[in-house]
This record gives sequence, structure tokens and C-alpha cells, in this order.
Amino acid sequence: MIDPGSTPMIVVALLGTVGVALPLISVARGERGSNSFYAAISLGALAAAIGYVGYQAAAGNVAPGALLSADVVSDDAFGGFFAIAMLAVAIMTTAGSINYMRRMQHHAVYYSLILLSAIGMVLVAYSTDLVMLFVAWELMSIPTYVLAGFHKRNPSSNEAAIKYFLFGALASAVIIYGISIAYGLTGSTNIAEVVRGFAALDPSMVPLALLAAGLFIAGFGFKMGLVPFHMWLPDAYEGSPPPVAALLAAGTKKAGFAAALRVVVMGAVALNLDWTLALGIIAVMTMTVGNVAAIMQRNLARMLAYSSIGHAGYILIGLAVAPFSATGSTGAMFHVLNHAVMKGAAFIAVAGIVTTLAVTHLDKLKGLGRRMPITALGLTVSLLALAGVPPLNGFWSKLVLFGSAIDAGSASAAASWAPWLAVAGVLNSALSLAYYGWIIRKMYFEGEEEKRVRSEPRSVVAVMVFSMLFMVGFGVYPDPIIQFAEFAAPAFSAGAGIVP
Amino acid sequence: MAAGEAAAAGLLPAAAAAQAAWLVWVLPFAAALIMPAAGRAAPRAAGYAAIAFALASALLAASLLPGALSASEVHDQIGWIDAIGLKAGVLADPLAVIMANVVGWISFLIIIYSTGYMKGDRSLVRFWFWMMFFIGSMQLIVLSDNLLQLFFGWEGVGLASYALISFWYRDKKKDHVGREGRRALGLLDYYSPTHAGMKAFIMTKVGDVMMIAGMLLIFAFAGTFGFKELAGDTAWAADMAAAGLLVPAAVLLFGGAVGKSAQFPLNEWLLEAMTGPTAVSALIHAATMVKAGVFLVARLGPLFFALGAAGILADQFFEVVAWVGAVTALLLATQGMVNPEIKKVLAYSTGSQIGYMMMALGIAGLSDRFTDGYTAGFFHLMSHAMFKASLFMAAGSLLHAVGSRFMTDMGGLRRSMKKTYAFMWAAGLALMGAPFITTGFWSKDAIFAAVYESGNAWAAPIFAIAVLTAVITAFYTTRMIGMVFFGPKSAHVLRMESAGRLVREAPLSMWAPYGILAALTIGIGIIGFSVEGGMHHLFVEYLDHSFGIRDAEDHAVAASALPGPLAGLNPVALGASVAAFSVGIGLGYVFYVGRWADPARFVASSPVFYGIHKLLLNRWYLNAMVYWGFVVAPLWLARGVFRYFERTAIDYGMNAGLEKAVGWSARVVQGTQTGVAQSYLFVFGAGILFVALVLLV
Repeated sequence: MIDPGSTPMIVVALLGTVGVALPLISVARGERGSNSFYAAISLGALAAAIGYVGYQAAAGNVAPGALLSADVVSDDAFGGFFAIAMLAVAIMTTAGSINYMRRMQHHAVYYSLILLSAIGMVLVAYSTDLVMLFVAWELMSIPTYVLAGFHKRNPSSNEAAIKYFLFGALASAVIIYGISIAYGLTGSTNIAEVVRGFAALDPSMVPLALLAAGLFIAGFGFKMGLVPFHMWLPDAYEGSPPPVAALLAAGTKKAGFAAALRVVVMGAVALNLDWTLALGIIAVMTMTVGNVAAIMQRNLARMLAYSSIGHAGYILIGLAVAPFSATGSTGAMFHVLNHAVMKGAAFIAVAGIVTTLAVTHLDKLKGLGRRMPITALGLTVSLLALAGVPPLNGFWSKLVLFGSAIDAGSASAAASWAPWLAVAGVLNSALSLAYYGWIIRKMYFEGEEEKRVRSEPRSVVAVMVFSMLFMVGFGVYPDPIIQFAEFAAPAFSAGAGIVP
Repeated sequence: MAAGEAAAAGLLPAAAAAQAAWLVWVLPFAAALIMPAAGRAAPRAAGYAAIAFALASALLAASLLPGALSASEVHDQIGWIDAIGLKAGVLADPLAVIMANVVGWISFLIIIYSTGYMKGDRSLVRFWFWMMFFIGSMQLIVLSDNLLQLFFGWEGVGLASYALISFWYRDKKKDHVGREGRRALGLLDYYSPTHAGMKAFIMTKVGDVMMIAGMLLIFAFAGTFGFKELAGDTAWAADMAAAGLLVPAAVLLFGGAVGKSAQFPLNEWLLEAMTGPTAVSALIHAATMVKAGVFLVARLGPLFFALGAAGILADQFFEVVAWVGAVTALLLATQGMVNPEIKKVLAYSTGSQIGYMMMALGIAGLSDRFTDGYTAGFFHLMSHAMFKASLFMAAGSLLHAVGSRFMTDMGGLRRSMKKTYAFMWAAGLALMGAPFITTGFWSKDAIFAAVYESGNAWAAPIFAIAVLTAVITAFYTTRMIGMVFFGPKSAHVLRMESAGRLVREAPLSMWAPYGILAALTIGIGIIGFSVEGGMHHLFVEYLDHSFGIRDAEDHAVAASALPGPLAGLNPVALGASVAAFSVGIGLGYVFYVGRWADPARFVASSPVFYGIHKLLLNRWYLNAMVYWGFVVAPLWLARGVFRYFERTAIDYGMNAGLEKAVGWSARVVQGTQTGVAQSYLFVFGAGILFVALVLLV
């Protein structure tokens, strides 16, 4: 039985209660309920949740690494790490939405949906059972379908929602198909059982297991934004309200990686085959397509969407080389957390710009450095961090990721191709600087005549300040996060099982 | 964590001492950060905050002194980036603590001076920010326990110097240096503040690149940047020596010091650095920037010397250091004899005196009595810091009072600026090395003695250079004082007075700092011999304790030949330094104070003198050659490449091709993004097939 005092249980109970209560309160209060009232409640709940997860991890009440227990969830550091990353994104999204939502209706529902989605994300990270994972996955996804279409009368918001929903439905179908194959082969949905079963599989059945792995990659890859499962992503990010795009790009996307690390990587290690090359190829394709397409974009949100496809490619490097290099999964998780903050900050900056100036086109950003100094500075820092400029946090996680690829190449002959991933990553980073730099140039070096300073949304400024402190602080002193990532990363050793 | 031994020494418990050592460099940085807020709160608050923080930092440095004087050390580390085994730390050993006090207290006085000097400037917040950043970076260099962390401070110093040298970035005519229109080898010898800042930044970067190469070479063999670790296990040095890389790495590191300390051949930036506010010049020359190079050599010198005990010799390294120092000392001193700008004369003098320090540190490694040269070099650093800071601040007062940087625009000021006159004589005498009463005498004499007694093959020529430089030093210092304070008032001063603007003494906040320092040079000078003895004793213990360096017995038997209180001094060195002082000041007196002979007529009297004068005034043509070789010629080359290669091969060939390729592939990717959900879903399905195929095959 699951301990009712374990971290995931407490977080679910807390966020679930508040998430369900919010709409009820709004019904009771009618029109009197204000936007910031609901935002404050959900911020409080999220802060309490992240505080509890952080406390549990800091106090050493959780098992290190990723545990595969017989229960449906396990209280381990791996889940805690992702929970912190995703709750942080939820907080940034909620805070960044306050000004954006002021002109909209149905505030309580909006914040409640973010909370419910946050529960799903956290549970995905903690799940150790495929059915539990699927339920959490749906709990995470369904609120975001609604959120993407929250602008009921905006056609592009509707289009974003319907595309996102179609793909989500397809991906869910694919995942559940994979689960059913795994169940058919091993007679269990517990991940530990499945992995054990895969390891002792009759050779004639291996192709079916591989098909299951492939279906999982496709299903999770949809959320991660891997090429070729990425087509929905730019349209959805562009059409959604910008704070929701932050949630999608920085939050739910990371849940995909959590699921992939638990299921795909572990399962494939058990199958003991050369699955890593497939991930490596997808990684290179993903980062290249993302960055090349981003160069041509003229819409800031869309450019960031492609950039986040590119970053999925970098993170995937860590997954691909995980069996060969001890730092592979550490680097992936490190970058997951960094990217959550960097991309979250960038999208919240977009939200601030949209709220204040109602533009997202690049040419309209001229002189933004003077018009909205703090937002522009926050956006600049996050773009530089995304590009991996030292001494910002993005530099370190890319360093660990690319370093792990080079390590893997020298550690194992089976991974002699791995250093090429690092080469592709470095080239792509250089390419990405072209369009990041372009945005910065627009904001600061063009539009000389624009002098009028606009009052910046206070909640956006708060998010900017927090994320700048994070990006610069952990850029200068990255050690605590690296240590936490090392503590939380699942341990793989080549060929050997990770089965408890 | 705290591995301090200071507890035994008394005043501070180990943990408190470690905290103090951290705060010494953290506080100035913190001050820099709060400057904008302080400046916004009240315009004067920034200045007071700067004074308070500088004082706190200096007091903390002073609190470390008792421990350091009993030759104990504080070493405290924290994890920095554990993933690659890097630690950050402070190492407060006697060397670092004495240096930190020199830097801290002199900076504090300069900050007070700046409140007067910079009064009314429009960008005071920027000024205070960079001043505090400068001091923090320097203290970071001094207290770092490893090369990498030191390098951060090193670059911080470089950045701050760039920002402060170009502080008056509007490039007004009065902020330039050089005489408008003067040319050497066809190039203008007239520089704007922004140009000067750039020049300083780039020239020191040349050294920095060498330094980082040397650092990484050592790291590649030793796997650590830490000074303690490097000294503790010397297996890395044996490996490097076997690969023939030890001396190159050491010389590369010295390259960083050459750039930062403005030694030959990277000396030319120092002159143009005079475009900064005078308070900045004082800081650069006395406490922060150029002393960093000497400190680096003092940090690393014992490390390389101690390897000798293991049979690994780095003699070539010390020869390079000694000769670079000797050449710079002479080269820059000669140019100081002819320059008409007061700050430039002082700048030449700084480069030359730093040359003395390098000479002493180099010769230390070439003799069997390492501590003699080491103490002499470091003692000279201290005494130079005091008298040069004093001289620069006094020069700043003159600039304020007269409104011109040319000594030819001053003259006869001794009645109107009595205090400045007196203090400048005191500090000037220290620079000249006036016997027995100035710090400059004792430290210079110690260098002479160390060189003379080293017994090295190079000792004789280097000794000769040192003595000749001392003569020249005494001469140009007397010339400077004579031109400014003696003789008739210049046309410029007379014009000012007839316009009703009298030359006045500087306010208290300005003359007090350089008065204090001038008094100190004399005060410490009178007991200078015992100060040097105490320092020698301290360094003997420190070098033995930290590096296992033990000196040979004092073989200069002749030392005891001198009577009474002079016993222990080397008679040859003593005689040479007294003689050099007398000759130099005598010549200077004849031409510039007594004015019995007209220097201009003297130069014109013979083509040889005229030629030498022109050579010196044109800086030995070295600056012009640097510009021709590294600025003008590359620019021509670059223009040629641009016109004949870039515009044709690259622009029409490669760029157009690359642009087309990127544009085409981006359009292809974009083309697939049709917006039609059906086609997206199709690609998704194809993707599943693709993944399954890759896995199955």
C-alpha cells in the first residue's frame, strides 16, 4: 500500500482540494470573486506543494535515484526533482497570468485547470505503474486542451486547441496501445514487472516488445516535441494564450521526459539492445529541424516554440547516451530544470508584451529595451541562457549534456557515434544564437525614436526577477542543482538490469 | 572546512578569520552593487557608502594582520563546481595579508580623496561602482587560493581599468593625453580616453591569453589550480619538466604579469591610461592594477623556486623575470626624463619601479638566498604603493589647481600650494631613495644588495642597470618638482591670475590622504631598516613553512664591515645607492631647481643630445612601432582582404551559397508546416513507423 504521508499523496491531496474548491468558491461568490484572489489561492497552494517536496528532498526523506516499487507511485528523488521543476513552472505560469487574465472571464476555472494539470505532471513523474502513468498523463493533458482554447472567441486559439487535442488523443491512443502490448507480453502493468518480464522475454517475442518501446517513444515524443511528432507544437504554442504556452513548453513537455526516462529508457536497458542509436538520430533531427525552422520565424511565440523543439533535441542526447555515460541522465535532468525556467521566463515575457503592447511580431519589438526595460532584460537573459552563453545556467547543463556524449563515445565502442551528437549540439547552439541574437538586436539596437516607457505588469516583473536570479545565480554557482540532479538521476549501467 | 591555524596566533579564531578573509573581497563587490541604489537615494550617499565599505574591508584585512605576522595562515574552501572538482577558497598567508592591507588602506585613502576630486561630476554612480569593483577584484586576486579564481579577479581588474580609463568617454579635448598634433614615425602621439581604455584593455589581454594558456598547461598536468595543492605534491612539475613544458608554462604565466604590470614589451598602455581621473591613476599605479602582476610573480615565484630542491630547475624563468624587470626599469626611467606631462612622468616612473620589483623577484630565484630578493621586491612594492599613491594624488591637486596636465603650464607654485609642495617633496624623496629617512631608500637598497650578493652571472650587468636607473629616477623626480614648484610662474599661471583665478591649495579631503601617505613614507623610512628586517624574518619563516625554502648562510662577510646601526648593510650597495641619489638630485638641481643651466639650450648644444632627447620623447619609437606592426599594418591587411577576398570569394561565393542553403532548408521545413491537421497526423503516423523500423532493423 502507498503510504498516505508520502510526498506524491500529500501534493495530490493539497493541490486537488484547492483545484476542485476554486470553481466552487467562484460559484458561491458569483461575480464578486476577483482575479487576483483566485491567483493568490492557487499560488499559495503551489508554493506549499513545492515547499513540501523541497523539504522532503532536503530532509532526506526520499530514496535517491528512481525507485521501481511494487506500488503505483514511489516517493523518490527522481519524482521530486521533476515535481519541483514542474511546480516551479506552474507557479511562474500562474503569477505571469495575473495581468493577462485581468481582461478575461472565468478566472477561477482558469487557475483551477492549471492546478489540476500540475497534479498530473507531478504524478507522471512519480508513477511506477503504466496505468497510473496513463491516468496521470490524461490528468495533465485534458486541462491543457481546455487552457489552449481558453480564448473562446479567438479563432487561432480554437485552432490551437483542436490541433493539440487531436494529437493528444492520438498520442494517448498510441500510449495505451503500447501499454496493452506490454501487458500482453508480461502480464503486468507495474513498470518493474514489465522491465523484468522484458529482460526474460522469449526471443520470438522481442519484436513485439520493440514495437511497444517504439509506441512509447511516439506517444511521449508528442509531448516532448520530438521530430517527427512535433507538427502540432508551433501552431498550438502560437495560438494558445502566452502563459498557457509557457505551461506547455516548460511544464507538460518535461513530463514527457519524466515518463520517457522511467519507461522508455529503463525498459530499453532491460531489453539490452541498440535502441540508443534511434534516440540519437531523433535527437539530431529534432534539434536541427527546430533551430533551422526558428530562423525563419517572424513571430516571437512561434520562434520560441521552434526553439523549444530544438531544446528537446539537446535533452534527448542525455537519454540516448544514458546507458554509456553516468552523466547522461544527470545532464538531461539538469537541462530539464534549466529549460523549464528559461523557457518559462521567455514565454511569460511574451505574455507581458502581449498584455501591454498586444504585439508578438518581431518587427514590433523594436525599442522594447526602452519601452519595457525589465521585461526586455529578462527576455534577453533567458534567450542568452537558452543559447548557452556562460556564465548562465544553460551553459552548464549543455556542457554536462555534450560532455556526457563525448564520455559515452570514449567509454564504449557501441557508442562510437555518440560524440557526433555533441558536435551536432554545439553547431545547433551556434545556429540558435543567430535568432536569439536577432531578437536582442531588435529590442535594444533598433527603434531609436521610441522613448516612451510603459508601465510593466507587476506580476510579469516578479517572474522576470525571479528567473533572472535563478539563471544568473545558478550560472555562477551551479553546484547545488548539479548535485540534486546527480542525487535524483536514475542509475543505469550498460547491459545490466536496473531492476530492483 | 576551515583549515585555519590562526587560532594559535591569538587575535581571531580560525572561523572568524576565514570569514574576515572572504569579506575583504566580497564587501567591495557588495558596495559596487548597492551603488546605484545609494546614488538614487541621495547623490552624496554613494560616496559615503563607498568610504564606509572601503574602510570595513580595510579593517577586516587589518584584523588578519596579527595572525599573518606570526607567520600562520588561514585557508578556507567551499565547493564551487564539484562536478569538475573545482573549489573556491581564500588563502590568507603572510604574503596575501600584507598585500591585502596595502591594497585596502591605500584604496581607502584614495576613495576619500576621490570624494573631493570627483565632486560635481555627472556620472558619480558609475565612478563609484567601478572603483569598488576595481578594489574588490584586486582583493579577490590577492586572497584567492587558486589560479582560476585569481583569474576571475584578474579579468575584473582589467574590465574595471577599461571602464575607468575611458571614464570621460565624451572624449573632450582636456581629457586627452599627449600634445595635439605631435607625431612619431608619422603616427599621432595624442590619445582620447576611449582610445586609451581600449588600448589598455587589448594590450593587457595579450598577456591574459598567455596567462590562461600557462594556467591550463599546469592544470593539464597537475589537475588542480590550487596553490596549496601545487606546492604540496610536486609530481606534476617533474612530469612537466620531463616534457620540457615547465619553463614555458611559467613564462606564459609571467606573460600575464607582464601585461598587467606594464612591463616591456607590453608597457605602452600605461602612458595612455593617464586619461582616467587622477584618483583612478593613483589606484591603478599604487594599489590595484599594476601591482597585480608583481603579486602574481610573488605568489608563484616560491613555488617554482622550491622545485629546485627536487632537482627541477626553473632558472630560465627567473632569468626572464629579472631581465624583463631590468630592461623595463631603464627603458621607462629614461623616457620619464623628458616628458612634459606630470602624470606621464609619474606613469613612466611606475613602470620603472615595477621593473625594480620584478628584477628583485627574478634575482631571488637565481641566488641561493631566495628570501633576500623576495623580501626586497615585496618591500619595494609596499613603499612604492605609499609614495606613488601620494605623488599621484598630489599631481591630481595640481591638475585641479592649474587646469592643465603640462608641467610647462605650472612653475613657481611653491608659495600658493605649500602643503602639496611639502608632501610632494617627501614622497618624491622616497621615490628618489633619499638615504636613511625614506622607505624608498631602504627598499631600493635591499634590491641593490640582493642583486649584488646573488652571485649570479647576470648580477653585474643587472646591478649596473639598477644603479643607472636610480640616478635617472632621482633626476626626473627633481626635474618634476623643480618644474612645478620652482622658477618663474608660467605664462598659463600668469594668465589665470590676471583673470582673477588664483591658484589655491586643495581642500582637506584631498590633501589629507596624500599628506598621510607622505608622512608615512618618512615615518616608516626612519625606522625602515628594522621594518625590512622584520619582514625578512617573517618571510624566512613563511617560505620555510609553506614551501620548504631555506636560505644559505649569509656569505656576505663584508656586511659586518660597516659600523654601528648600519651593520648588516652591504657597503657596495649602500655606497651605490647614496651615490646614485646624490648624482641624480644634483643634476636635477642644476637644471630645474637652481636653474643655473637651461635644459633646452643644453639639448640644443649638441646633435647627440638632441638625438637622444628626440628618441626619448618619442618613447624610443616603441609605441609607434607597436602601432605600425599591430594596428596599422593589420588594418591595411584587413582592408585588402575585405576588398579583394571578402567582397568576392566570401560574399559572392560562400555567403550567398550558405544563405541560400539555410534559407532553402528553412523553407522546406516551413513548407511542411502547412497548418492542415490531417497532414500533421499523417506525419505522426509515418513517424511511428519510422521509429519502429529503426528499432527493429
